[in-house]
Amino acid sequence: MARLKEVVKAGEGEIYDIELEADLLKANEELARKNRDLLKKHGVRAIDVMGAIGSGKTTLIEKLVQELKKKYRIAVFKGDLTTTIDAELIGRHGVETVAINTGKECHLDANLVGKALQKINLDGIDLLFIENVGNLICPADFPLGSEKRVVVVSVTEGPYMVVKHPFIFMDADVVVVNKKDLAQAMGVDIKKLTADVEEINPNVKVVATHSRSGEGIKEVVHALGL
Amino acid sequence: MHEFSMTTQIVENVLREAEKHNAKKVTEVHLAIGKLTFLGIEQVRFSYNILVEGTIMEGSKLYIEEKNGVVECSSCGYEGDFMYEDNPAYHVPTPTLRCPRCGGVVGIVGGRECTIKSIKLVV
Repeated sequence: MARLKEVVKAGEGEIYDIELEADLLKANEELARKNRDLLKKHGVRAIDVMGAIGSGKTTLIEKLVQELKKKYRIAVFKGDLTTTIDAELIGRHGVETVAINTGKECHLDANLVGKALQKINLDGIDLLFIENVGNLICPADFPLGSEKRVVVVSVTEGPYMVVKHPFIFMDADVVVVNKKDLAQAMGVDIKKLTADVEEINPNVKVVATHSRSGEGIKEVVHALGL
Repeated sequence: MHEFSMTTQIVENVLREAEKHNAKKVTEVHLAIGKLTFLGIEQVRFSYNILVEGTIMEGSKLYIEEKNGVVECSSCGYEGDFMYEDNPAYHVPTPTLRCPRCGGVVGIVGGRECTIKSIKLVV
C-alpha cells in the first residue's frame, strides 16, 4: 500500500471538492432487498399490483383473495394517498388488510412497505398482495421487495395506453388487461394491446379479464404460478 | 413525477454533508440521473431552485449529467445501449427489452440512478 505523505487540508475560505457518489434511488433498492429477505425468511410470497386509477386493481385483488383464500393465508397492503375505502372493501373478505396512506406521495416505497410489514404477523400468512397507488409512472422507480409485479390496464384507458406508458411494463411479470367486456364499446382491440405489451417486454404474461364477473381470474392465478 | 421529493432528499443530503465540513457555502452540486428513471431534468432544476432558497446552497450551480440506459443479455452476453424499436403503427420508437443481437430478453443494468456525484464547498 502506498504511504500517505501528507494530508492537504483546506484553510479558511478555501474551496473543497467532495466526492459523494450517493445514489438516492439505490437507498430504496437496499430497503426493497431487506423486505425481500424478510418475506423469504418467513416463507411469504409477495405480489405488487400497479396500474392507473380506476383500472381495477382493487377488484382484481378482491377476486384473487376469494379464489385463493382457502389455499393460502393472505394479507393485503393497500396504498392510497388518503382514505381506507379500498382497504375496507378488501377487508370484507376476511383477510388481514393494512392501509398505507402516502399523504401526497405518488407511489409506495420500500420504506413504507417495510413499516407495514412490522404491523402484521408474517408467520401467520403465506401470501401478500401489495396494491400500489394508482399511477403508471412513479411506482416503476421504486421496487418494494415483492417477488412478482402485476400491471393492470383496462380497455377504458384507450387503445394507446401501453405505448404511451411503456416503461412500467418492463418491470411486470404479469399484465392484466381488464374490462374486456367493454372492448368493443371502447373500440379497443385486446390483441393489439397484448402485442404492444409483448413488444416492450417479451417475457411478460398477458391475461385478459372481466374482473367484476370473475372471468379470467383463474388464468391470472395460473400466470402468477399460485 | 416525484422530482420534488427526490430533490428534497438531494438538498438534505448535501446540507448534511456541508455541515460535516463546517462549510459556509455550497457552490456546486453535480448529479447523475439515469434516462430510465422518471425524473424530469427541468422539474429537478425547478424544485432545486425553490428548495435551496435561504440555505447555504442558495446561488449554487447545479450540474446534471444524464446517463444512458444500459442493458445486458443473459443468453448471448450483449451489453450496450438500451434499444428503441421503430413502431410504424404509432410513428414512435417503442422501448423494448428484446436483445438487439440474439432476440432474447435483456435486463436493465444501468440508467436508473439518481446520484449525487460530488459537491463543492467553501469552508
